[in-house]
Amino acid sequence: MTIRHHLPDELLTSFAAGTLDLGQHVAVATHLVGCSHCRSMVRAMEQVGGAVLERLPPSEMSAGAFAAVEVRLGERPAAVPGPAVQGLSEQGFRDIAGLPPFVRQYGDSSWKWIAPKVHFRPIVLPRPSETRVFLLRSKPGTRMVEHTHTGFEMTCVLSGSFAHDGGHFGPGDFDFGDGSDDHEVVIDSADDCICLVAMQGDLKLQGMIGRLLQPLIRM
Amino acid sequence: MPNETPDGAALDAARWAALIEAVALRQDRDAFAELFAQFAPRIKTFMLRSGASAQSADELAQEALLAVWSKATLFDPTTAGAAAWIFTIARNLRIDELRRQKRTPTHDTAEVDLEFQVDTGPQPDAGLAAAQVESRVRSALAGLPEEQVRVIELSFFEEKAHAEIAQALRIPLGTVKSRLRLAMNRLRGLLGDFS
Repeated sequence: MTIRHHLPDELLTSFAAGTLDLGQHVAVATHLVGCSHCRSMVRAMEQVGGAVLERLPPSEMSAGAFAAVEVRLGERPAAVPGPAVQGLSEQGFRDIAGLPPFVRQYGDSSWKWIAPKVHFRPIVLPRPSETRVFLLRSKPGTRMVEHTHTGFEMTCVLSGSFAHDGGHFGPGDFDFGDGSDDHEVVIDSADDCICLVAMQGDLKLQGMIGRLLQPLIRM
Repeated sequence: MPNETPDGAALDAARWAALIEAVALRQDRDAFAELFAQFAPRIKTFMLRSGASAQSADELAQEALLAVWSKATLFDPTTAGAAAWIFTIARNLRIDELRRQKRTPTHDTAEVDLEFQVDTGPQPDAGLAAAQVESRVRSALAGLPEEQVRVIELSFFEEKAHAEIAQALRIPLGTVKSRLRLAMNRLRGLLGDFS
């Protein structure tokens, strides 16, 4: 899989800094599953975080802080080596490849028809997030009506491909729209195109799909 | 105080990694005390700048160091530098704290920790070993203009959106983005190929 469209700088930084909301985090993590380059950049940004932490001026700890911690050292069993992810019972989204393991614990749902050739499937986040996340499955040849929306939209391709005037997007590619774009999207793969979409703000689709989508995706 | 020269900083980094290993291998309390003295006051500043109250920042710094103690066996110097590893512990605690509706006596960042485990993809991470990344990041930061470092710091520690960073630094939003881009390009250049 050749990834051509990577995470923008601000998302790489915010992911490493831990300042994304959960919906955004899911979309960025999905790209990272398939993109070793961006993973390396996240690692590097965590190193930057460490370096910045070292440079911070110290704030005096409260009297007795160390003693309070020291008495608790015995309480804590040493952590077991090995990634915690191995303990996950992966459940949801079995038919979908390329999701980060933690997402498989989230609430799954069935595909819902929203427009000719287009289905969507919400990913139910375990806590409120300003950003909604869902899977979108479109048949080959589908043309999405030109649309715009009021917030940003992150799209990570899981399978198939699409194109718009910003480029061609295949598996692993990440498309970031900040709300100013007005794209006409064409599904140009031979098979269905499945994307994970994280969306903030209201959808304002124009045309028939827009009228169909709006009442169904509760924005 | 951390050593400000790149060589001195590298020595500090090696020392902190050795202290974490001493905690992992021997539950070495002296090594832990040194880590506490170095990092707890800085994590407290980190939490204060993220909007925590003085009391809460103090408690979170204590929790972070407790996690350093209990997770020391998970520290892998081949994948992360010591300061970066401690940073991720503090970061995940901060996320956990922000999510917390009611205060409970102990923190559990297991869920947040999982959300950062994404490297299960088929291909290994591109590029360099952690120690190389760490030293290159250090020299990259040392070589960046102060204004670029400031934008990066604000991105990390004050939960500010770029618009707010622009406001805090009294510069246009476009300037924030271009400074971040310059800094990131510099890092990419130092870290090797990134298409």
